[in-house]
Amino acid sequence: MTSAAESEEQRIPEDAMRRLAEMKPGQRTTLFTSDLSVNEFLLVREAGFRPLGLVLGSSIYHVGFQMGRWNKNQELDTLSNAMYHARELAMSRMEAEADVLGADGIVGVRLEIEFKEFGNDLAEFIAVGTAVKADEPGEWRNNQNKPFTSDLSGQDFWTLIQAGYAPQGMVMGTCVYHIAHQRFWQTIGNIGQNVEIPQFTEALYDARELAMSRMQAEAEALHSEGIVGVQLLSLAHRWGGHTTEFFAIGTAIRPLRADHTIAKPQLVLPLVDS
Amino acid sequence: MTDGDWLPEAARKRMGRFDASGLRTSLLSVPGAVGIESVGLSAVGEVMGCIVQQVGWVGGATYGVGGAAAFNGGNYLGSVSYAPYVNALYHGYDTALARMFTEARAMGADGVVGVRLTVSRLGENNQEFVALGTAVRANSSVRPRKLFSTELAGQDVAKLMHAGWVPARIAIGIAVETQFLDYASRNQMSLMAGNVEVQAPTHLITRVRAQARERFAKHAKDVHADGAIVSNMTLRSWHQEANGAPLLCAESSVFGSTIARFHTGRKAPTSALKIMPLRPTK
Repeated sequence: MTSAAESEEQRIPEDAMRRLAEMKPGQRTTLFTSDLSVNEFLLVREAGFRPLGLVLGSSIYHVGFQMGRWNKNQELDTLSNAMYHARELAMSRMEAEADVLGADGIVGVRLEIEFKEFGNDLAEFIAVGTAVKADEPGEWRNNQNKPFTSDLSGQDFWTLIQAGYAPQGMVMGTCVYHIAHQRFWQTIGNIGQNVEIPQFTEALYDARELAMSRMQAEAEALHSEGIVGVQLLSLAHRWGGHTTEFFAIGTAIRPLRADHTIAKPQLVLPLVDS
Repeated sequence: MTDGDWLPEAARKRMGRFDASGLRTSLLSVPGAVGIESVGLSAVGEVMGCIVQQVGWVGGATYGVGGAAAFNGGNYLGSVSYAPYVNALYHGYDTALARMFTEARAMGADGVVGVRLTVSRLGENNQEFVALGTAVRANSSVRPRKLFSTELAGQDVAKLMHAGWVPARIAIGIAVETQFLDYASRNQMSLMAGNVEVQAPTHLITRVRAQARERFAKHAKDVHADGAIVSNMTLRSWHQEANGAPLLCAESSVFGSTIARFHTGRKAPTSALKIMPLRPTK
């Protein structure tokens, strides 16, 4: 072992224990809280950001129902609007908390829906993330002067910054769709055959396209270069088989500089399971 | 008997044998053990603290309303206090941790890593709180004022310390809040309400989470740490009746580790090697 490594090994526990020994009342510290894992925390620090605090926004929403024509493919726009509005409420409340902390952005955002014990059709829409501020002052907020939001993990966030891109905001689009039931004669006619059911194909196609195009429109409003980490989910929630929510969500990004080269990573073969 | 210094006969015997035999045990995984070795910590033994306590009088609603429930123009106002229940939970966690520290001190440790805090029910009203972890001793001439403790695994402790951060103490924030349902909220929650935000429960969970987070942060501030990493955040809600009026209750808890910075530069001195593992991702 080299002497440098040896001194390093000695220095770390020594310094750490001294710091713990110094922790006493009357010392001013700026305390932050964070929702990040240790890996994420360290990488966000290395990307040049420091966490300010865990931020959270939530809304309990009554998601009712809307009648769809039994045999017609159609978007249930009241439900689409409701699902969007509830998420928007949670997100904007989280952004408001980050704004109070003077954050440049929010990383590691989780946007979740949970159905609650206290009442039928009541769902909690919750957004949780960690507000961060850049070490070097810069233009990190998006063109709507809001802190940027990103559902990327700390690891992905680090890689994105390294590659010369900055997140602008989470963009989403939703579409609740009612898929028509087959008519009796149609069902009879198809018995025992392997055929495409065009009205189902069309319905699913249509619904996904609507969700994605709404997400794209949000990214265009932010003047983004692109959207990364897109998830396209079909969520049945509690509406029964023929009504489904199609939900698209991703992080809109803009370039920080003209070239986007990242250091070639070192390939390794880990000697551990999983 | 309920203080943190108390240890049962069996535990004192184990501590005694530990001194004589010099046997070192640990709950750490292999990567965890190698990790803490790399930052000058060595495992001295597994430590445990536990307490079983009866949580009988949980709050106002069980034996009459603690807070005031006023009836005002068709709206129920006021709330019910669950402070005794919250205090009981805090007492359970704190005592389990304190007893674990007593064992760790007896082994000459500087801290406990990989702490697992669990609660399980024992019969109807009894709850068992258990804290289990691996006591470690630093290769250092300085000793911390108080034992440090963290829920983080050995690997995570190693990564943090390499980057100039040391775990300080486990922080816990617990809160229970209640809210009577007024006429308007009950209307918003009915089947025909359509698609709207429901105000009463939204306010309730916002309040209970805010309070749990505040207590968590205060816990962290009290030990003069620089930051806190949240490891788990939960929310539980239920419905009950108090004085014939519908009452919404929500319990929120936040668990995590506080950390203190010991590097002096503006940026963290990381020397992490970025790698791309050659294994398929799931």
